[in-house]
Amino acid sequence: MLPFSSPGSKVTPRHHVGGYPNGYPRGKTFHISPHRYQPRGTVPAYRRRTHSLVRLAALAAFLFLVTLISWSRGSSILSVFSLGLVSGPGDFELETVRYHDLSNVQGTARGWEREERILLCVPLRDAEAHLPMFFSHLRNLTYPHHLIDVAFLVSDSTDNTLEVLVKNMEDIQAAEEEAMHFGEVSIIEKDFGQTVNQDVESRHGFAAQAGRRKLMARARNWLLSAALRPYHSWVYWRDVDVETAPFTILEDLMRHNKDVIVPNVWRPLPEWLGGEQPYDLNSWQESDTALQLADTLDEDAVIVEGYAEYATYRPHLAYLRDPYGDPDMEMELDGVGGVSILAKAKVFRYGVHFPAFSFEKHAETEGFGKMARKMDFSVIGLPHYTIWHAYEPSEDDIKHMEQMKREQLAREQAEKEKAEKAKKLKESFGDATGQWEQDKTAMQNIAVQEKKKGAAAAAAAAVSKDKAGARAAAGKVEELGGQNERLEAKT
Amino acid sequence: MARPMGAVRLKKTNPLTLAVGAALCIFILYFLLGSSTPDFSASRKASAASHPLSPPTSPFRKSTGGGKLKPPPVTRYNLNNVTITPKPLENRENILILTPMARFYPEYWDNILRLEYPHELITLGFILPKTKEGNDATRELQKQIAKTQKSGPEKDRFKSIIILREDIDAPLISQDESERHKLKNQKVRRAAMAKARNSLLFSTLGPSTSWILWLDADVVETPPTIIQDLARHDQAIIAPNCFQRFWNSDKKEMDERPYDFNNWQDSDTALEMAKRMGPDEILLEGYSEMATYRTLMAYLFKEDGLLHEELPLDGVGGAALLVKADVHRDGAMFPAFPFYHLIETEGFAKMAKRLGWQPVGLPNYKVGYPPPSGQRY
Repeated sequence: MLPFSSPGSKVTPRHHVGGYPNGYPRGKTFHISPHRYQPRGTVPAYRRRTHSLVRLAALAAFLFLVTLISWSRGSSILSVFSLGLVSGPGDFELETVRYHDLSNVQGTARGWEREERILLCVPLRDAEAHLPMFFSHLRNLTYPHHLIDVAFLVSDSTDNTLEVLVKNMEDIQAAEEEAMHFGEVSIIEKDFGQTVNQDVESRHGFAAQAGRRKLMARARNWLLSAALRPYHSWVYWRDVDVETAPFTILEDLMRHNKDVIVPNVWRPLPEWLGGEQPYDLNSWQESDTALQLADTLDEDAVIVEGYAEYATYRPHLAYLRDPYGDPDMEMELDGVGGVSILAKAKVFRYGVHFPAFSFEKHAETEGFGKMARKMDFSVIGLPHYTIWHAYEPSEDDIKHMEQMKREQLAREQAEKEKAEKAKKLKESFGDATGQWEQDKTAMQNIAVQEKKKGAAAAAAAAVSKDKAGARAAAGKVEELGGQNERLEAKT
Repeated sequence: MARPMGAVRLKKTNPLTLAVGAALCIFILYFLLGSSTPDFSASRKASAASHPLSPPTSPFRKSTGGGKLKPPPVTRYNLNNVTITPKPLENRENILILTPMARFYPEYWDNILRLEYPHELITLGFILPKTKEGNDATRELQKQIAKTQKSGPEKDRFKSIIILREDIDAPLISQDESERHKLKNQKVRRAAMAKARNSLLFSTLGPSTSWILWLDADVVETPPTIIQDLARHDQAIIAPNCFQRFWNSDKKEMDERPYDFNNWQDSDTALEMAKRMGPDEILLEGYSEMATYRTLMAYLFKEDGLLHEELPLDGVGGAALLVKADVHRDGAMFPAFPFYHLIETEGFAKMAKRLGWQPVGLPNYKVGYPPPSGQRY
């Protein structure tokens, strides 16, 4: 700093050299008011007035601010001082009114171009094992993620479904890559106190079906009613245990521009079961036989497809698959399966849901298809567009597999035994040669000793001993040969 | 260099300038504060959602900070903890009041404002048709909403409000009362009405809602404690009795008459008629062409009867109806198709019964309709 501006040097003039201590420049500078001498003793009246005015104004301003602060609650006063230019993270206003025109969310064939939002609904129960597979599908969806709102319903789970779910979803929302982030993510917990077991046999057993389907329907309705928003154009239902599905499935199904549309659902099988099999038998067309059957049943009965107890002779979407058929081919349906349903949101808004009661003798997704038809919505299946459900072996399959396992074990056991025998055989042979060598050296030793004794008669005796040794060895080999034959007979 | 300016310059300042400056400062401060939107209390802010993508039954925080919006958080809702009890006030249960609206009655809004249930627990949902009448009603409604939510006292402000416009191809039936109630128009009209009700219900029902109060836009008179009074019964679906005020020219005074004939108990005659009907036909109440001999709650009002007397019902009307959220969550909706030959609210009652929920009516608990158009209060 300059030395004369230091606080210690009081005598140094503050102002520029060209000026006077009282601030009035002179010399070449132009000025109007002359530099008059003012007596120092008395303060002029107008200056006294100014002082009192300034004090009054300051007091007024202070009082005004105090009242302001006492009136205002929260942060508004701060924003006044910061002139609204700086705002912290906690700075917000509450928006309480929302306006939505439902005619803007009708759903069109090219939703991704018109920024149409999809609600992706996933009902879950003890599904921890399937979640990694599901999240890989979710990440790979090609429909713009920010247009997909994801809603899960976790019910009556005893494993770590909820924790794994929350963790995975939070990871996705916190991902570096912005294209990964989804829209609204809701995880809803609700226990219905289901007593039905979730293992494959009790899930698919005939007797449990009606009650199980009605509970599933309730879970689906709870999920939808809590997650559907006025800005949704589409709703996509997806089971967590789908193993293989195209990443473009949302666009593929949307392109058809139908009110309700489902793909064909098959499942891969082990080789010994034929390699593949139709899985979802709930997608069908109504038949006269089934309608007649429905008339004979009581009000609360539920017809379930795929069981010998109800022979309906309906054309099933699943059985019409041709692996080389046109994937865009459409088929009209009356009942649908719930593995993968794309529906326009207005279908649900107009009240179509998953009946948790017997609706025209059907419940859950099949009843949903029926109700959609009742309200003149189009319900379509794609017989040659296939997604693959994960394979979970049934009890029969497990029995069969156990049988196969036993056979394989037996085979392995036999092979092991064979190998052991062979080894033993080899060892035995090894022993024999060893013995032979031993005998030979022993005999040679004897022969040498005999030689040392040195006699022609002794030499003749050595020859006869050699012969006896050879006979003994031959006997051993014969015995082993017999064993070998027995072993072959066994295998 | 700066012009030489010392403290002495202040001496020359005109006091008027100072006064004007101070006044200007005060004016600016006042203007800044006055223009900023009024605030909500901390408890309301705490219950608000953090992102615009959130259940509409809660307000959301509109960031004033600008900048890029963060991805929505993973939000967990435990529906096991949503209580639905006879004492909604003590348990601070959320109410959703749903109103399909074709015409705006200022008295409706005044009546809503008089409700004694804490407004910070009430969400309002409206659905209006996209017709000229609907546009007018929307404008009027928005005016009232702005008045209450922005500048009204905080205790009057509702938790949140959702306004929906219909996507239903409205059947061309005049809202004129006599035309509206003609039998041949009923099926089409009520199917459209059912769709509107369902659209409103399923896009507003949130994960925290405990009760849904269906209230018609022309119900202009309810007791201010209607929510507490109806919830007290702990019934899945409960309907008060609806009356219309009118000028009785015989008695030369204002009088009341029964209005909502959709609250009824079934009769054997009606069941027989239903059996003989084709699959797409519907039974309607209140038409002489179709005498059903059902027991109508509207006629069961007794001046000296117990206020809280209950009556099990088989069909309900939608004029005023308190429903436990679980009933709708289970899937009970307003069928827009003949469901057991019933449609809309009557079909809803039937569907709820199929799901195991019993509707109940209160014949002696009254709510009021305005007089027919043309008549004055």
